[in-house]
Amino acid sequence: MSERTVILASTSGLHARPAAVFVQKAKGFQSQISLSKNDKTVNGKSILSIISLGALQGDEVTIKASGADEENALSDLTTLLEQDLG
Amino acid sequence: MTRINVIAPIDGIAVDLTTVPDEVFAQKMAGDGVAIEPTGSVAVAPISGELVKLFPGGHAFGITTAGDVELIVHIGLDTIELHGTGFENIATEGQHVDVGTPIVRFQRSTIEGQGKIVISPVVSSGGGTVIEHATGPVKAGKDVLFVIEV
Repeated sequence: MSERTVILASTSGLHARPAAVFVQKAKGFQSQISLSKNDKTVNGKSILSIISLGALQGDEVTIKASGADEENALSDLTTLLEQDLG
Repeated sequence: MTRINVIAPIDGIAVDLTTVPDEVFAQKMAGDGVAIEPTGSVAVAPISGELVKLFPGGHAFGITTAGDVELIVHIGLDTIELHGTGFENIATEGQHVDVGTPIVRFQRSTIEGQGKIVISPVVSSGGGTVIEHATGPVKAGKDVLFVIEV
């Protein structure tokens, strides 16, 4: 299992559209993926779970990945959250 | 196989999701479903379950059921940018809702006055496959909008 912490760049936080983009990317990996903010951890392949985190621009979120492609998953998903997804 | 009826959350006209002018919804990245061109002004629960997310600004909400079903109702496009203008939350995040439980009141004229499109995607973002899609007029809390097979 590997993890990385990023500062969320999206102007409007992790709402439905950015969460959908994240999940579509996450589902391309075999690894189990989770997303955490503060003490709450959710399934990184569920849009509704991700938006329930209520993460806003500037929040620290941690991506964890566990599986054969975890390093590639973390790299791609980190890059995604560092962009403004709207 | 179980068929789960998703009931229209808003009075209006059901239209094909692919016609929504937002690629995330039109390309079904958020899930399959149906969009509603609203004529009503209250969004109700389309399914019974837990209201796991209700944005403070009222522009979208999500419900999960005891199974693996997740539904997202998004009132208008890019409406998170309105920070609640034109929306008034009725329900409370975390509560149980039944089909027809009022969740958000919204004012189309205010939303459109802010330059936003009010077409409202309703999508299945969790388990199951959407097998039937309504088109044409639908009544909130009564008519089936789409069917999920799980």
